[in-house]
Amino acid sequence: MPPLQRWGKQLMVFLFPEETDTWITVLRIGLGVQVVVYTLFLRRDWHYLFSSTGNGLVSRQLGEAITAFDSPLIPKLGWLVALGRSVNISEETALSIAWAGLLCMGFFLLLGLFCRSAGVIAWFLHLCAAESGGLLAYGADNFMTIGLFYLMLSPLPDRYSLDRRLVKTKPKNPQFLGFWRRVLQLHLCLVYFFGGLGKCLGSGWWDGTNLWRSLTRPPFNLMSPDVLIRFKYLLPGLGISICLIELGYIVFIWMKKTRFVWLVCILAMHVAIGLTMGMYLFALIMIVLNLAAFGPDFGSVSLAYRQRFHPVFTKQLSP
Amino acid sequence: MNSKRIYAAWFGIHFLLITAVCFAGLFSLIAEGATILPSALSPYARKAELIAAWLLGKQADASSLVRRGIATYLHAAGIQAGYTFFAPNIPGSHKLTFELWYEDGRVEYESPHVRGKAAALRLDSLLDRLAESRYEPLREVVAKMLALSVWREHPDVKRIRAVFGSVNTPSITEFEHGKGESFQPIFSYDFSLREEGRQPTTP
Repeated sequence: MPPLQRWGKQLMVFLFPEETDTWITVLRIGLGVQVVVYTLFLRRDWHYLFSSTGNGLVSRQLGEAITAFDSPLIPKLGWLVALGRSVNISEETALSIAWAGLLCMGFFLLLGLFCRSAGVIAWFLHLCAAESGGLLAYGADNFMTIGLFYLMLSPLPDRYSLDRRLVKTKPKNPQFLGFWRRVLQLHLCLVYFFGGLGKCLGSGWWDGTNLWRSLTRPPFNLMSPDVLIRFKYLLPGLGISICLIELGYIVFIWMKKTRFVWLVCILAMHVAIGLTMGMYLFALIMIVLNLAAFGPDFGSVSLAYRQRFHPVFTKQLSP
Repeated sequence: MNSKRIYAAWFGIHFLLITAVCFAGLFSLIAEGATILPSALSPYARKAELIAAWLLGKQADASSLVRRGIATYLHAAGIQAGYTFFAPNIPGSHKLTFELWYEDGRVEYESPHVRGKAAALRLDSLLDRLAESRYEPLREVVAKMLALSVWREHPDVKRIRAVFGSVNTPSITEFEHGKGESFQPIFSYDFSLREEGRQPTTP
C-alpha cells in the first residue's frame, strides 16, 4: 500500500474510533446546566444588556453593527426583535421570550427532551445574545457556542435522554459518535496548546507576577492580597505549572498513563479559576467540555470488552 | 464510506480555520512586541499574521461572499477568536468614572453599573476593550451610551464628565511596601444634556 494511502487510512481510523454515547450524555447535561446557569445569572440584567439605544446599558444595535461588519448573516437578537415587531410584539416582550426560550432549552437539554431541537434552538438563541452583546461578550460565550455547536451536530439522542426512553430509536453509529468526540478532543488540545504557548511567551508567567496580577486585578480580586502575599513563594511555581499543564495537554492527555493526572490538573485549574477569580461560567463550561472530551467513559470500556471477548465467548460456546 | 469522507473533509476545513485563527492571534502578539521574543521577529510575525488573515478571507473586500461566508461560519462555530487568554501577560484593568454636575454646583461621582455579578464581568470586559487602540473610534460613542445609562437615573444632572483610565495594581514588592491601587486617566469626555458643550478632552 503506498504511504499516502496508508496515512489516509490511519487518519480515518484515528478520526472514527468506536465510542459509546456516554460522552454525549456528559456534554448534553453539562451544557444544559451551563445554559440554565447562564440565563439565571443574567436574568436581572438581560433587558438592560440587550435593549436598543437609549434603554439599556450600551445599545444592542452597536453590538450588532460591530458584528454585521464581519458579516450581516451572523444571527443576532435584532432579528428576533424585528420578527416580534412584525406580529405586534414589543422589544421588551421579544427579549423576554428569547430569555425564557433559552432557559427552557437549557432544561430540555438537561432532561434530554427533544434533544436535537433543544440543542439547535439553544445554540441559536445563545449565539444571538453573544453576538448582540458585542463588546460585552467574553471567553465563556465562545466556549458555550463551541459546545452547543458540537452538541447540535452530534448523534442525538443519547441513551440516557428522555427522548430515547419515550421513543425507541436505534443506537447511533459508534464510529460517528467517536468522530464528534475526536473533534471536541482535538479542539481542546488546540485551545490549551495556544493558550499555554501564549503564556510561555510572557515574562510574567515565569516569575509569578502574572498570577499575582490576575488574582489582584479588579474584578477578579476576590482574594485579599494579604492572604495571597503569604503564598508569594509559591506563585512562580504555580505560574510555570499553569504554562506546562496547558502546553503539555496536547501530548499528555493522549497517553494512557498521564491522561487521568492531566485531566485532574486541568479540572483543578478551572475550579481554582472559578473560585478565586469569580469566573464561574467560564470555569463551568471548561469543566464540562473537558469531562465530555476526556472524562472516564465506562461505556467505552464495556464496548471494548464486548468487542474483544464477545466473539471469543460465542465461538467457544457455539456447538 | 462516502459520508465518512465528507465528515473528514469538514474536519480538515474546520481545523484549518481554528489553527489559522489561533496563529493569527499569536503572531499578532509577537508583532506587537508583547512577548519575550526579540523585536527583530516582529516584521516576520506581521507577515505570518497576514498569511493567517488571508486564509480567513480577511484580505478580501468587506462585501466579498467568501469573506462573509467564512466570518459567518467562524462566529456560528464560536471559533472567531484565538485562545490567548491572559497571555502573554495579564492585561490592565480599566475604570470609567462619571462626574455628575448639578445646576447648583454639586458634584457626585458614579460608575456605570449592572445588577448581577455575571453582567458586571461583561461590563468590565467592555471597559478593558475600550482601552485597546482598535476600539478607539468607538470610545466616545460607548462612553456617551454609558453616560446616558447613568443620566437616566439622575435626570436633574446638567453635565457629565466621563473619565476613563487604567487601574494600576501594585506589584508584590510594592504591596509589601504599602502601595495600593492607583488610577491613571487615559481620556475624558464632557457631555451636556443638549450636547452643546460636548468637548472631548485628554488629560
